[in-house]
Amino acid sequence: MKRLTSHRDGLTGERLRVRYGPREPLIIDGESLQIPQGKISALVGANGSGKSTLLKTLARQLPQESGNIVLDGLDIATIPTRELARKLGILFQERHAPGDLTVEELVSHGRYPHRRFLESLCAEDETAVRNAMEMAGIGELRHRLVRQLSGGQKQLAWIAMAVAQAPRYLLLDEPTTFLDMAHQFDVMDVLVRLNRDLGMSIVLVLHDLNLAARYADRLFALRAGKIIASGAPDAVLTEETLRRVFDVDTLIVRDEARKTVCCIPLKRTARAEQGARAGQPGLNDFTGADGRARPLKGTARQGVDRLQPFPERYQEV
Amino acid sequence: MTWLIAVSAGIVALAAVAQLSFGSYGMTPAQAWAALADSGVWRQPAILLRLLLGEAFAQARGLSQGQPLATATLIVWNVRLPRVLVGIMVGTNLAYSGSIFQAVTRNELASPYLLGVSSGAGLAALVLMVFFPAWLSLLPLAAMAGGGLAFLMVYAIAWNRGASSVRLVLAGVIVAAIAGSLHTAIFFYARDANVFQNALAWTAGTLTGADWRQLRLVAPWTALTVVLGLAGARNLDVLALGDGPASALGMAVERTRFLMSAVAIMAAGSSVAVAGLVGFVGLIVPHVVRSLVGSAHWRLLIGCLFAGPALLVSADSFARLVVSPTQLPVGVVTGLFGGVFFLFLMRKRRNFAKP
Repeated sequence: MKRLTSHRDGLTGERLRVRYGPREPLIIDGESLQIPQGKISALVGANGSGKSTLLKTLARQLPQESGNIVLDGLDIATIPTRELARKLGILFQERHAPGDLTVEELVSHGRYPHRRFLESLCAEDETAVRNAMEMAGIGELRHRLVRQLSGGQKQLAWIAMAVAQAPRYLLLDEPTTFLDMAHQFDVMDVLVRLNRDLGMSIVLVLHDLNLAARYADRLFALRAGKIIASGAPDAVLTEETLRRVFDVDTLIVRDEARKTVCCIPLKRTARAEQGARAGQPGLNDFTGADGRARPLKGTARQGVDRLQPFPERYQEV
Repeated sequence: MTWLIAVSAGIVALAAVAQLSFGSYGMTPAQAWAALADSGVWRQPAILLRLLLGEAFAQARGLSQGQPLATATLIVWNVRLPRVLVGIMVGTNLAYSGSIFQAVTRNELASPYLLGVSSGAGLAALVLMVFFPAWLSLLPLAAMAGGGLAFLMVYAIAWNRGASSVRLVLAGVIVAAIAGSLHTAIFFYARDANVFQNALAWTAGTLTGADWRQLRLVAPWTALTVVLGLAGARNLDVLALGDGPASALGMAVERTRFLMSAVAIMAAGSSVAVAGLVGFVGLIVPHVVRSLVGSAHWRLLIGCLFAGPALLVSADSFARLVVSPTQLPVGVVTGLFGGVFFLFLMRKRRNFAKP
């Protein structure tokens, strides 16, 4: 493992350039970011802006074309796979549990990077699995089948698996998407507990700006592979920044009681105004950082698939 | 789990009794048992070693011929017992191969037969048998090489940003069809009608004529398959979560997939080398066992260790005894069972093999 003396603890990406293939357009265009340790950070931005790609790259789940990622002073490319999994966990959006897997079995897979080839679950592993289920609030679901859980419970079960992995950094790709309000709170409250009680650094991709404002310590706002703004939620969530990130006019309300801001979307920014910002691709052009059309991934893809039956309505907006 | 093991072991025992007792030289089960327990064999290590390790070994070590044995003992020990044992090995191999293929391709239709691996192995084995009969001891290795090549071809054909269930099976059908044509072409090269008949039976999958030599060819590979399969069980479990989650848990996904596929190919190749193309065992057994003990691979593979032999040995006793004295190839029976079972899977489980 290569130790870089110039870096202290934390997760840092430096001048990252990412694309899905040699002839594909750039998804992340030379961006650098520092994930603060022991905090909750959120990546926000439009569909197809590269949030998920950036998250996966930070976890070494996608190769970057150039740039470095440094984890606790170590060049992440030089960390053995198993050891990386003990330091950093990532939950993807797309995943699949075999039909008759119980919650407890799923969570115990989180111990995989801690066990040697033929080692069976030791007492320490069992404690970790039990604690992870308690932490995620799914202790009483342990013998249920993952397949039979509700969407929110499923999400918590997968989070418990990542907690059993006992990483110092936990990265999550849209953990609250497709969940109702109550379950969004369940998930976010678990993440806050992991952060506060275990000191885990959390990085998540979020679509709901109000959840981001409420729970995150630091926001990174992306558009077309560029980080447009980063900082504390009330510094990033301004009407001007949101117009630049989403092409949407918003009203920002300060919630003094909870020391947070609240964002009320008003309408699409007028086309003329969008065009006036020279060189910036529009939200629905789905062009990459270099201005070329690019294939959609993740939620962006699903969104377009859902919209396809009504193209004319989509354009009216 | 206990039930599965007990019932499977019972089926193997019953089928073995039938196989040892009945046939063109009829015995009662008691007579067969007496022949099996014949002290003439058990008290003479020279004879036992000659059977287990082969004539060449016996001559090299200068083992004595021993006392002559009764006819019943000779038939049980030379012909019927090794056939049952080879059946047990082949059943285990095919069930393991199917279970592992289903895990690494994350595809419940996967099996050595449907993925074209058996056909590739069969073609390589047939080429060796017809053109290079002097190197017959390399049969399992040749079959494994052929099976491995077929698997790579199937994956290359099916690959399109990942390989879906249906594309993999279609590619398997393509490769199997090509290999099958070449099989048939080789038959016609062999002009002797006797060879033709044997080759035909072998293509359908048969244990006719399986003796200690076949057992020696397959047994080490079966042992290796079982050990490596069970050792890799947890890796198969994690692989079943998907490539992303498995990699996030610290698995070298492609390397694991490659190594476990190699185990599955080894299992399929060595069973093809001794029994030909026995179809459907690798598909059915994992499905049945999974529905009884769940999909955790440790339990699944332990279950397959018993259920695989149970299916194959009982199918072989049907094949040999039901239309006796004609001996059907065992692959005909497993194909009949398997086809009906496949139909049942398709109709009963609506989400079966959805891409």
